[in-house]
Amino acid sequence: MGLKKTSLYNEHIKLNAKMAPFADYDMPLQYSSAKDEVLAVREGVGIFDVSHMGEFFAEGPGAHDFVDFIMTNDFKNAGNNKAVYSPICRENGTIIDDHISYKINDQKVLICVNAANIEKDWNWLKSHVGKFNCTLTNKSNDYSLLAVQGPKSENVLRKLRLISAEDFPYYSVLENTRDNEQYIISRTGYTGEDGVEIFCSHDFANKLWKEFLNEGVTPCGLVSRDILRLEVCFPLYGNELTDDITPLDSALKWTVKLKKDNFVGRNFLAEYSPKFRLAKLSIEKGIPRPGYPVLNKNNEVIGNVTSGTMSPTLNKGIALALIEKEKFPENKEFVINIRNKQFNCTYHAKHFYKGGHK
Amino acid sequence: MEHKIMENLKYTLDHEWAKIENETLTFGITDFAQSSLGDIVFVELPEIGTTVEKGTSCGVIESIKSVNDIFPPTSGEILDVNQDVIDSPENLNNDAYDSWLVKIKLSNVEQIDELLNSQEYLEHCKKNS
Repeated sequence: MGLKKTSLYNEHIKLNAKMAPFADYDMPLQYSSAKDEVLAVREGVGIFDVSHMGEFFAEGPGAHDFVDFIMTNDFKNAGNNKAVYSPICRENGTIIDDHISYKINDQKVLICVNAANIEKDWNWLKSHVGKFNCTLTNKSNDYSLLAVQGPKSENVLRKLRLISAEDFPYYSVLENTRDNEQYIISRTGYTGEDGVEIFCSHDFANKLWKEFLNEGVTPCGLVSRDILRLEVCFPLYGNELTDDITPLDSALKWTVKLKKDNFVGRNFLAEYSPKFRLAKLSIEKGIPRPGYPVLNKNNEVIGNVTSGTMSPTLNKGIALALIEKEKFPENKEFVINIRNKQFNCTYHAKHFYKGGHK
Repeated sequence: MEHKIMENLKYTLDHEWAKIENETLTFGITDFAQSSLGDIVFVELPEIGTTVEKGTSCGVIESIKSVNDIFPPTSGEILDVNQDVIDSPENLNNDAYDSWLVKIKLSNVEQIDELLNSQEYLEHCKKNS
């Protein structure tokens, strides 16, 4: 069983990237140094090949209704050409995946899902689409996906004639054409910085990759992507979000719109009282890692780290941790156990770092 | 993967280098190791005066993404640890052979014979890359 390759695989090899399997794909982890890649995105502009992500299209008069029904967030009332982030839940409220749906036009929606969940999501969506007046197609193998992120991204994108619209606000999406190549561009990302994601043909992705590198854009791998999202506290499916918990257990209450029309999981979530609460914790010396136990001041284990790393931007250890709600300490005093040593944490009410997204 | 190997040093299968002077063994990690780990951001070393066992972890090196045990090339008492590396872990990325980790007082001289020479270590790296 060979690993799948993205259309940019040869470019990664040429750049001497450190490669590793991720969700059936051989993906670039880092090119030079993950730390430098993080700083490039915070201060300049970086480019990520995230072609492993899944792309489905819902098309037809019922496409908006369908997408609204399978997500917990409000899709129907979002404006034209808007993107909406949302969990996709089962009837019992547990999370199948988190994703972004893009309103391309009034009869067409792009549904972008996590690479590791493509098959699970596809089966789930397929089983619900029958009631709606629309078709559902899986175009995951037909699309490459580039993320161009960082405060200087807009300048480069305009120079390369990839954004032409005057007004292209955060979380909006457009279908565009350049040199007879059609692509979908959205002002979204997973880094907290300003930037875009470009869904396009494999050929065009290869062309663009070279153009961006010629402009001095830094190629960035999955390691820096994971650090960047953690610094701004974006959840990761498999870590903060799993098959076993609901969005209400993991800081995603803002994405569950109980007032909108019926949606999968609504009845359960309306009555549910969460079992967990997500905590944002940092430590000055020491690096929290997934699975490390979190304790209160009385030495009682109250939860686990779900994501943790050294933050190159803040120069300290940062962690997201799922804490049993009933044991969530009122005094906000948390301890992380690292190799049987106790580290006192700083509790953060907000994200560790505020990115500069528009 | 391009990496540097010093001819005058001894090596372990765990990608550590060792230098033996009289009764003292000084060790660190190889260029191959630092390059595989990527950005090194945290180093934890044993306390001076304690005794370590060959094959038993005596410390930790953390890169941004991974936690890695340090296995001493031989057993013995810890004579000294490199505080500079604890304070500036990135030194290991800059020059792995210039950044020693630990000095051990040799207690079992036979264990030195089990170390690899530079040629044997080169072969070992080829198999691992």
